[in-house]
Amino acid sequence: MERSATRKFSGGKLLKVTVRSEAGVIQEVRITGDFFVHPEDAVEDMERALRGATVTAVRGILEGKVEGGGITTVGFKLDDLISMIEGCAG
Amino acid sequence: MDRLRVIDFAAGDPFYNMALDEAIARRIGSGRGPPTLRLYGWSPSAVSIGYFQEVREEVDLDFCRSKGVEVVRRLTGGGAVIHTEGELTYSFAVKEGDPAVPKDVQGSYARICTPIVAALRRLGVDAAFRPINDIEVQGRKVSGSAQTRRFGAVLQHGTLLLDMDFALLPALTVRAEKLKDKGAADVRGRVTTLKEILRRDLNKERVGALVAEEFGRGFECELMRGSTSKEEEGLVPELAERYRSREWLFRR
Repeated sequence: MERSATRKFSGGKLLKVTVRSEAGVIQEVRITGDFFVHPEDAVEDMERALRGATVTAVRGILEGKVEGGGITTVGFKLDDLISMIEGCAG
Repeated sequence: MDRLRVIDFAAGDPFYNMALDEAIARRIGSGRGPPTLRLYGWSPSAVSIGYFQEVREEVDLDFCRSKGVEVVRRLTGGGAVIHTEGELTYSFAVKEGDPAVPKDVQGSYARICTPIVAALRRLGVDAAFRPINDIEVQGRKVSGSAQTRRFGAVLQHGTLLLDMDFALLPALTVRAEKLKDKGAADVRGRVTTLKEILRRDLNKERVGALVAEEFGRGFECELMRGSTSKEEEGLVPELAERYRSREWLFRR
């Protein structure tokens, strides 16, 4: 099952999340849009970390990434990203 | 930052342009390149897309092919941009941690855009910075910027629309929702150029020199007219090859 969600945030940035999941387990996540994340590699790192995760694990995994890595998002908040992924995977 | 190297305006191939910005940032990050302001243009015209964008969502590839418009993925985030002959592009790079540039990203956009706003005002244009990363005149965008922090450097590049070939706008497939809250129905309504505002043609070299002067003033540093180093030029071919590759363009 593949689902995607697109949201636009104040400040104008657009965030699109596409999640392919099977029986509640995430197979693949793609995070795209015209936002900024520093360091940029953090996005692919998050996508990789979510492979094989269940919906309930999404928040813990992503919060863990941000805590450990000094990651800055510009244009959206981590919470927005988490709820969009959860929405697509659940 | 006591001194800023200025690389004067030259129009370049899109892949070369992105490769040189990256080469400059890499050298700075490894402590072997000076803080740099580079002014350049695009020949041929090109669409650049943000690092995180899906090329198929943003660009009409058939249109680009038919018009000879190149498409390149940037190293920086942000949105898709059409770069045509009337554009003056700048890139500014310093070592990460340089006190001249605030650590917080939003503050650093405002800081680096300040000299550009100042240059516009000297031209008689009532320009203002609009967060996150735009400069507007009467509510319409005349300049957009994007930043990356990699290799130990901060690199910000951006546009300044002296003029624009609006006939190439269909290269971008902009979603209506992107423009809604900015009060514009389409990109044509969202964007303006200095030519539209001032009703005259401006010279890119001259405006570039003005921008450089304002960077010197704004960052209180000495301007050193310079060119690219051998080391930077040495990095360019391989980087340009990557920017030109389908793999890089279609990675998202």
